[in-house]
Amino acid sequence: MYLIEAEKLKKVYAEGKSKNTIAIEDFNLKVKEREFTSIVGPSGCGKSTFLLLVSGLEKATAGKLYINGQPVNGPDPLRSIVFQEYLLFPWKTVRGNVEFGLEIKRIPKKKRREISSAYIELVGLEGFENRYPHELSGGMKQRVAIARALVNKPKVILLDEPFGSLDALTREGLQTELLRIWHEAKCTVLFVTHSISEAVYLSDKVAIMSKRPGRIKELITIDLPRPRTKDMFVSSEFREYERYLKELVWEEFNDVTNEI
Amino acid sequence: MTLPMKYKYRKIISPICLMVIWEIVGRFIWVDPFFFPPPSAMFKELYAMIITGEVFPHIAISITRALSGYILAAVAGLTIGLLVAWSSAVEDIIDPLIELIRPISTFALVPVMFIWFGIGNGSKIAIIFKACFFPIVLNTIAGIKGVDKKLIQAARSLGANGSQLWIKVLIPAALPMIVTGMRISTAMSMLAIVGVEMLAADSGIGFLVIDAQRTFATARMFAGIIVISFLGFSLDRIARIIQNRMLAWHTETSLSGGMV
Repeated sequence: MYLIEAEKLKKVYAEGKSKNTIAIEDFNLKVKEREFTSIVGPSGCGKSTFLLLVSGLEKATAGKLYINGQPVNGPDPLRSIVFQEYLLFPWKTVRGNVEFGLEIKRIPKKKRREISSAYIELVGLEGFENRYPHELSGGMKQRVAIARALVNKPKVILLDEPFGSLDALTREGLQTELLRIWHEAKCTVLFVTHSISEAVYLSDKVAIMSKRPGRIKELITIDLPRPRTKDMFVSSEFREYERYLKELVWEEFNDVTNEI
Repeated sequence: MTLPMKYKYRKIISPICLMVIWEIVGRFIWVDPFFFPPPSAMFKELYAMIITGEVFPHIAISITRALSGYILAAVAGLTIGLLVAWSSAVEDIIDPLIELIRPISTFALVPVMFIWFGIGNGSKIAIIFKACFFPIVLNTIAGIKGVDKKLIQAARSLGANGSQLWIKVLIPAALPMIVTGMRISTAMSMLAIVGVEMLAADSGIGFLVIDAQRTFATARMFAGIIVISFLGFSLDRIARIIQNRMLAWHTETSLSGGMV
């Protein structure tokens, strides 16, 4: 039994500047519950499109997409998405942002406070409850965004290049944090990234996508022990995964450059 | 940007210099005091108006008229603005009217208003309404339409839909623009009320000025103009204070220039 099942999934954008572009086609991917899957591929290959389809914010043009055996039909707080740009509500405090999903569900204030406190603690932001987003660093904003997504106890959390605009050190710190949060929140993660080492470090499985129209080119199981540690980065197995994945991505990239 | 206290005095240099030069020219170089009454004479006149209390009913009636038109314009501007931003059908119907009426100078409509509403308070309030309505309606539309599409996606992914999306995301996110429109309109209301009171009125601060001119009391005329300047200035300051209080998060965000 798989939690996420995508079969022959296709998405064609009908409007806007990307009119009639086939973003993904013949896209097949199966993800088990509580698995951490990264999706890596050349820019514009449709990685984010797949996340938007799973979130229900975009509708597939053709193919099947099942979550927990049910077809996806519009957004659902059980499938939360976190974007690279944080997209916090600037008029709300950290607590206000985290509580947004609960406020929508009309959960009483006292209960809301309890739940939000737990998640603020989970992402390590105790003491910052009453700060506004503009008072926080990029890394802290992304922690708020993650807590905000987790507050509805989602089955799936979708992360679209969440650490893309952070500096290298913050990024490394948050990677480790994310593993801890994933472990504690017991959810399934779909993680889009450009960084191959990040994908290897975090994931159970790494899906390599072809250039547009994107499909899954290869799904690789990362057989490294958990908990993952930073010294694994220099282990020969880690390096071997990295080298192999880089090769796969480069093939696609070369195809793109040859076309130009 | 607030200046440090020790530089604040710079801001009063130019008004004081203007007054001093004017006074010197008026006293020591021959100019007709009928055209250029010295500031000392203006302020003496102003002092008399305040001491006798004669100026206050004029101020009160002007502000009452301006405020009545302003409140009507704010209610109509917000309602229509939200409707236009909400439905493209409403937009297609209303937008041509907005675009055709907006460029008409407020004062070009004065004769029409006199015929429709008489020369009493009705026509004056209608004129104020015309002057205040457009900044509010246009900023409301632009504010709602300008909300980051991805912020809306983030909110939808957290479970917000329909009216919740409007009340909890779109309106708060557009508030800085909406409030800016409302602040611009406070200035508009002062400009319009003075003008229309000069055309037809037997009370109000605009009437005070034009009446002084008709009776060749130029010092009194300038005293009235000082009152107008002071009123407009104070009104804008009050509007700014309200704006900053309401939208502390926004001012800070724009100053820090950060992504939120």
